[in-house]
Amino acid sequence: MNIDEIFDNTSFAIDRDPHIVLDYDICTGCDNRGCVNSCPARCYTWSEEEQKMTFVHDGCLECGTCYVVCHRNAFTRWRYPRGGFGVAYRMT
Amino acid sequence: MSKTYQAIVIGAGPAGSSAALTMARAGLDVALVERGTFPGEKNMFGGVLHRLPSLEKIFPDFWERAPLERHIVKKGVTFMTGDSSFSTTIEAGNYDRPPYNGYTIFRPRFDRWLAEEAVAAGATLITRATVDELVLKNGKISGVSVLGRSGQLSAPVVVAADGVLSLTAKKAGLRQPSFDPAQMAVGVKALIDMPRETIDERFGLVRDQGFANEFVGVTSGVRGGGFLYTNYDSLSLGLVFHLASLRTSGKTPYDLLNAFMEQPQVAKMISGGRLQEYSAHLIPEGGYDMIPELFGDGILVAGDAAAFCNATGLNLEGINLASHSGVVAGEAVIAAHQAGDFSRQGLGIYKKLLDESYVIKDLKQARKAPHMLHNNRIYQEYPEMMCSFMENIYKIEGAPKQNVSKQFLKAAREKVGLGNLLADGFSAWRSL
Repeated sequence: MNIDEIFDNTSFAIDRDPHIVLDYDICTGCDNRGCVNSCPARCYTWSEEEQKMTFVHDGCLECGTCYVVCHRNAFTRWRYPRGGFGVAYRMT
Repeated sequence: MSKTYQAIVIGAGPAGSSAALTMARAGLDVALVERGTFPGEKNMFGGVLHRLPSLEKIFPDFWERAPLERHIVKKGVTFMTGDSSFSTTIEAGNYDRPPYNGYTIFRPRFDRWLAEEAVAAGATLITRATVDELVLKNGKISGVSVLGRSGQLSAPVVVAADGVLSLTAKKAGLRQPSFDPAQMAVGVKALIDMPRETIDERFGLVRDQGFANEFVGVTSGVRGGGFLYTNYDSLSLGLVFHLASLRTSGKTPYDLLNAFMEQPQVAKMISGGRLQEYSAHLIPEGGYDMIPELFGDGILVAGDAAAFCNATGLNLEGINLASHSGVVAGEAVIAAHQAGDFSRQGLGIYKKLLDESYVIKDLKQARKAPHMLHNNRIYQEYPEMMCSFMENIYKIEGAPKQNVSKQFLKAAREKVGLGNLLADGFSAWRSL
């Protein structure tokens, strides 16, 4: 299984308006960044070179792992997507 | 979108639909609000649907009507290392006779069906509706607003069955503002397509028989475990990780899942299968100590939202606890309507009924289990010890043999340490 091919295996109705918004300055100052490795959908990437966090909500499985592991409360918004958007499991 | 109901249930999972069904059957005008395009769209689990006494009472033909997969006749535990495994299984004649002890199911199918039963009983299902805020009037809950829609849904009482993170319980001040990663786990799952005959032959099953297996030692030392469940024509294979352990491990759920799938013995089980769907979900694993305030003025909390999940190791229960709490929440709302009292006091019957039920009693009994499971040795050293001990027991190479207890002590000394073995044995015994 290749996590980069998540869209081949799981279907999504992507909302343009992200349901999770980060204050990246907090991520830059974070001493843990457990979100990067813990997110099962690899939505978070940390660039050591640029000292910069990138977050993409497209493949978010709405599991809530980031909500729990982030101890700096870096979210300016953390909610579930609007009704009808986000991940759509078919037969799991 | 403005309408007034006698009750609003947030979330059409097993807890919410059970609550709505109970209320609708008693004639209450209840709204069942679901953020998915259909109930179950957002839900997954890696598990078995166990007996549901409270729903069986509501409809005695429950098991004939529910959309189920295989019934579990064989349950196993496997201690695994990178290239070895030691398994124990129990297959019982009684597991193969109704009432069955458990079934595999697909949540998008099962949850949808249960919600439709609530609708058939008279509940109003509102899908594509993510609840945004609790609406207060004169300091009392008077309904909810929905993200991206104007107006509000009004009711004197709300049942928060909105799942493990329960943003509703948070807004009502019923749960802690943030979660302790030590009380949460994340499960990831691969649904693997496989012909029914292959599954039957590979796992020794006939008719509708199913197999469920748990794995220890498959998470590269991260606290957690693995599971394999047979559906009619697919396998559910996955891993569960304690978040406090995962977040500091530097390891990723998908890399560990891939390694699990490539472990030689697991690879044989899933060989020829095709990945169909990848999913993830949180599990409230903190047990009794994680339970939030279960009720407040105009609000009740049920299911995962109330941390009703019994994950003590071998048995993993959630849907049964959720549906029971939903039914009891429904009964409490019915009683509140009869008394015309939706205050904290009027809804207090909910907790009283739960305290008397297996939901709270079992969680209370297993109160220490979550702490015991925070022992890292369980997830690597002990599986290695078991496999190495068993491997040596069966090794015959023409040299004089050590007796079994000496071999056991040798494996224990090498892999775990005798002091640790004693201490762990003692704490395991105490937590039982």
